[in-house]
Amino acid sequence: MAAVRSQREVWTNRAAILAVLVALVVMLAPIYWITSTAFKPRNLATTVPPTVVFEPTIAPFVKLFVKRSQLREPVSEEVYDAAPWWEQMVLDGGEKVVRRGRTGEVRSSGYGKRFTNSLIVSIISTILAVSMGTLTAYGFSRFRVKGEDDLLFFILSTRMLPPVVVAIPMFLMYRTVGLNDTHLGLIILYTAFNLSFSVWIMKGFIDEIPREYEEAALVDGYTRIQAFFKIVLPEAMTGIAATAVFCFITAWNEYAFALIMTNRKAQTAPPFIPSQVGSGLPDWTVIAAGTFLFLLPVAIFTFLLRNHLLRGMSFGAIRK
Amino acid sequence: MAEIEIRNIGKFFGPVEVLKDVSMTIADGEFVVMLGESGCGKTTTLRAIAGLESVTSGKILIDGEEVQDKKASERDIAFVFQSFSLYPHMTVYENIAFPLRAVRMNASDRQAAVKEVAEILRIEPLLNRKPSALSGGDMQRVAIGRALVRRPKALLMDEPIGALDATLREQMRAEIKRLHISRGSTSVYVTHDQIEAMSLADRIVIMNDGILQQIGAPEEVYLRPANLFVAQFVGSPVMNVTDVALEGGDGGASVMIGGDKQGFHFPGQVVGHLNGAPLSLGIRPEAVLLSHDAAHGAIEVETTNVEPLGSHDIVDVRVGETVLRSRTEAGFVSGEGQKVWVGLDPLQAHFFDRDSGQALRGAN
Ligand SMILES: Nc1ncnc2c1ncn2[C@@H]1O[C@H](COP(=O)(O)OP(=O)(O)OP(=O)(O)O)[C@@H](O)[C@H]1O
Ligand SMILES: [Mg+2]
Repeated sequence: MAAVRSQREVWTNRAAILAVLVALVVMLAPIYWITSTAFKPRNLATTVPPTVVFEPTIAPFVKLFVKRSQLREPVSEEVYDAAPWWEQMVLDGGEKVVRRGRTGEVRSSGYGKRFTNSLIVSIISTILAVSMGTLTAYGFSRFRVKGEDDLLFFILSTRMLPPVVVAIPMFLMYRTVGLNDTHLGLIILYTAFNLSFSVWIMKGFIDEIPREYEEAALVDGYTRIQAFFKIVLPEAMTGIAATAVFCFITAWNEYAFALIMTNRKAQTAPPFIPSQVGSGLPDWTVIAAGTFLFLLPVAIFTFLLRNHLLRGMSFGAIRK
Repeated sequence: MAEIEIRNIGKFFGPVEVLKDVSMTIADGEFVVMLGESGCGKTTTLRAIAGLESVTSGKILIDGEEVQDKKASERDIAFVFQSFSLYPHMTVYENIAFPLRAVRMNASDRQAAVKEVAEILRIEPLLNRKPSALSGGDMQRVAIGRALVRRPKALLMDEPIGALDATLREQMRAEIKRLHISRGSTSVYVTHDQIEAMSLADRIVIMNDGILQQIGAPEEVYLRPANLFVAQFVGSPVMNVTDVALEGGDGGASVMIGGDKQGFHFPGQVVGHLNGAPLSLGIRPEAVLLSHDAAHGAIEVETTNVEPLGSHDIVDVRVGETVLRSRTEAGFVSGEGQKVWVGLDPLQAHFFDRDSGQALRGAN
């Protein structure tokens, strides 16, 4: 280590830091925009120039979850005072909460259900794609498979067709077998999408694990299955984490198929959010609130797996 | 502990035959070392015994029971790999205890067993470390500990210290020997290193190209090599081998090295059994005797090269068209081009059938 760095190195270093900062600002700007808009009162959301300092409110989140309609005339003071705090927030915006005719039950906007659908479909399809992918990759990596290269190429080739090309035939097939607008339908679709990716990435990781690890376990008296669970899985953890994050993001963000294949029961959040731009003047704070919540699961998932990911993202290149 | 018997095993990898009719018996408590060049099939043999590789033909018996169709996990054998044999995600303690978990030993016995091998191998202070925090020597110590902890029927080691540097290897060699003496486990040990083989083995197995060449005690393979391959493989510097012709009768014979007119006189009891087939003579450098005076039966020659090695010199001399290497005391000759007298020690000479390479021995 040279104690004295050359002037040139110092400048290169500073330039690099500056470049990273610029890139960071550019990339974080939309996230800042969404986050700040999600906490703004409606009248501050579209000001020019943008309002930077404001008193944050959770009104957009309240509005996000309940069904609202335009008030024709302001409600009386008694009604306003009798309303709970969250309903007052809606009334403040010149809207009223829609209730069911007889029971008076508050009607939901449907966002909560879409969000739950997104979670169900993404989590289950990720688990399926990663576990099936890992097992398949293990088989390809450790056993002599006839036509291994051709099979692996075939698996990869399922990704070569652009989704738009298969969307219509898929839609027709799904309608015939009744998988339209079902969780199962989307889960199958996303698992199939992610499986080829998962097999290829996991094969890379498992190839990197020396066979001797398992062989040592085999002579020590373990069965192959036990060796797989006790030795291969822990060793492949970084790869599994990286693959899981990628599969989850793909499934979570998927828009086109979700739009075509689902409409009510199994609809996920991505096709729902833009539909709220809807008629009349869009309430951008509500859309921002929906988008903000939608960003959270991926952020949390990635954060939880960050230790594995740092090593896993290099796809085995600097493992150990 | 157990006896291992290998009966005529053969192994093909696709079209390639890597083991050809290999048979051997390893006695209970014996330490057998397999020696041979890279790719000769040592690892494959070891893996076949362990059950990590199936054999194409032949039988493997452990304690008289046929095991060639049994899984590795059912053979009760331990294996030490050259590298990669510790699980990175487990501590040293967990690594050593891992085989005991397979047999569902209870926790307190397990602890005692781990402690015992840790003591023998002097690795107690390392028990809580992860393998990545160990030196190469310690890693292999732990690997051997893991192999021994279960008290398996046999211990198979595939170049367990081959990746270590020279000093550490010497030290580990001594430790493995000590360990074997104290535990008495039936052991099969693979190495490239002759000195390792000589110093550890009860018997050495020499392989070439998938064929077992000779099996015998270290001094036996050194003093009585079964064929030209073994003769030239064992010993350093390599044994001189040259084509020779014999002239003479019962009282002895002249051994003529190619291009040389004079020949060396060999007494009858050494050459009497040779029957006139084309011959090769094998003679180790220490049996090529140089002197400054015209000793009886010696030939005057010129030195062509001198390699000083500290404790001794290796001197090349030209006899006819052949160069013989001789081991002399340090500084015996001053340099190349010097006139010396060379003689051969008939009692240390080996004759081989030139075509088959087999050693030709008399009744002795
Ligand atoms: N899985 C395999 N598939 C095909 N050929 C193999 C396989 N394993 C080993 N071989 C071949 O079998 C031959 C013997 O290999 P083996 O590993 O037993 O040699 P070795 O004596 O242990 O060599 P080294 O001293 O280099 O370890 C070699 O030619 C090798 O290329
Ligand atoms: Mg080998």
